[in-house]
Amino acid sequence: MQTFKSQMALQLMILPCMLFLLIFAYVPIAGNVIAFQEFNLSAGFFHSRFIGLANFSEMFADPSFYMAMKNTVILSLLNMLIVFPAPLLFALIINEIPFLRFKKLVQTSSYLPNFISFAMVASMWIFLLDPKGMVNQSLLLLHLVKHPIEFWTEPGLFRPLSVVIGIWKGVGWGAIIYLAAISGINPDLYEAAKMDGAGRIKRIVHITLPNLIPLFSILFILNIGTLFSGNLDQSVLLGNSFNKETSYVIEYYSLQMGLELTRYSYATAVSFFQSVMAVLLVLIANWFSGKASGNRLF
Amino acid sequence: MHARIRLTAEDKAVNAIVMIVSVLALLATFYPIYYLLIYSLNDPIDAAGGGLYWYPRKFTLENFGYVFKSDQLLHSFLVTVARTLLGTAAGVLFTATAAYALSKERLRFRKAYSIIGLITMYFSGGLIPNYLLYQKLQLLNTFWVYIIPALFSIYNALLFMAFFRQMPAELEESAKVDGAGDFYIFARIILPLSKPVLATVALFVAVNHWNDWFSSAYYVSNQNLWTMPTIIVRMLSDNSIMDNMKNMSPGMRMDPLSTLQAIKYATLIVTILPITIVYPFIQRYFVQGMMVGAIKA
Repeated sequence: MQTFKSQMALQLMILPCMLFLLIFAYVPIAGNVIAFQEFNLSAGFFHSRFIGLANFSEMFADPSFYMAMKNTVILSLLNMLIVFPAPLLFALIINEIPFLRFKKLVQTSSYLPNFISFAMVASMWIFLLDPKGMVNQSLLLLHLVKHPIEFWTEPGLFRPLSVVIGIWKGVGWGAIIYLAAISGINPDLYEAAKMDGAGRIKRIVHITLPNLIPLFSILFILNIGTLFSGNLDQSVLLGNSFNKETSYVIEYYSLQMGLELTRYSYATAVSFFQSVMAVLLVLIANWFSGKASGNRLF
Repeated sequence: MHARIRLTAEDKAVNAIVMIVSVLALLATFYPIYYLLIYSLNDPIDAAGGGLYWYPRKFTLENFGYVFKSDQLLHSFLVTVARTLLGTAAGVLFTATAAYALSKERLRFRKAYSIIGLITMYFSGGLIPNYLLYQKLQLLNTFWVYIIPALFSIYNALLFMAFFRQMPAELEESAKVDGAGDFYIFARIILPLSKPVLATVALFVAVNHWNDWFSSAYYVSNQNLWTMPTIIVRMLSDNSIMDNMKNMSPGMRMDPLSTLQAIKYATLIVTILPITIVYPFIQRYFVQGMMVGAIKA
């Protein structure tokens, strides 16, 4: 107690933060209890009736839930397999640019889209890919198509477009962390490899790439937790009633159930299911990665 | 890189591929924005004819005239700026203060505090519990819903802690000898010496505030409090708002549809351009900060 009193100032500095976490992090975590209730606003958390797993069984019986779940998982898989490794590849390319000033230029300009809100990015691409937009005009001009492509009303095109826009927005920013890791590689390794007659490609494949793999694995494990979530931005801002069968994701479903239909308990059950799955997935991936390669998070 | 005497065929091939890809990447980044710019600077009916790729054919500022006549857009711009400034200042100070206390080994219950913080990295309440909480706290539909829930970030706290820990302990000790308290030391000695990490975190927080469309769209129904990204989404998807904007002007165009399109493009340019212009001046802080963060992680 003596030390506690003597460091009153320090304790007062941490106190607001702990209160903040209690209110804005832990109360909502505890608030997930309404997933098991028939919550209504007047009764509140404490007096609403418990209904066990009824919300969850309703969820598993709803075809919309499965459609949203399927879309979420497919989009997440596409993200993991294409959008997620893209920055690694981009970093390898930037690192090989032979002119220093041009390298800096490419690198810094590639971050720019990260600073534009997804709301603006989505609007921009909706315009450019409009039947009368720039892309279709060019395609028509080059006689690559006979009629404008209906990019936003064709359900089959939503997933590829979501991937492309995801890369456009995030590839440069995502590459920073890999470029930092590349700058930490011991230059002697490259010199030694050169002496032994290894060419550029050999050096990339045998030195640069292996040095990035541990970092990539860690980021990948963290990312696996998002398999059953994410892509809300794309779904809300690029989705519409025409491409709903491929664009509607689980978070949008939860959002509509909760805020538009004010079915708070049901919507919370949906998001609770998601977060449980996310934690489970990270634990499994972490265990698996530890077994397979020794790269573990915790 | 030191000068090479001669390039092998492999070197040349790699260089060629790398240069082609990076030039394409540059074009892909800037051309879409540039296209919107020239389109919005062109006469709408002429632009609708197509073939506009490199520069405005029939230059006009009329489209931007319509945009700047809209009070709503200007208002949302001011709300976004206010939110970004206030939210960044408050968030950075709040997080830095807590992180400073947490970075001191001698802090009592430090372990418990850290665990309380770290758990929130893996578990979060989810949308609806948050919404109900904000409702209970009467934050919904107020400006404060932008500021208060974003006060603290555990990731930024970790960045601060890494920085504070590597500061020389003598700084604190000599100030202690002179009778300074912890709070004085933090505010007068540590903070002024922490400009690099303050700048970095401030920019991270600022970008989050600037880009956020979600809280405005779902926690705020009062249109006077909407931020720019939200206004953009509503305006561009709802033609009636745009029509009103156009009708306010006496010089009605012959072709309402193409005028509408040009106004939309101009609106988007007005919202994207500020960050594009400011960006070259601030980007070096981001890069420094990301490097610090990346190496620590």
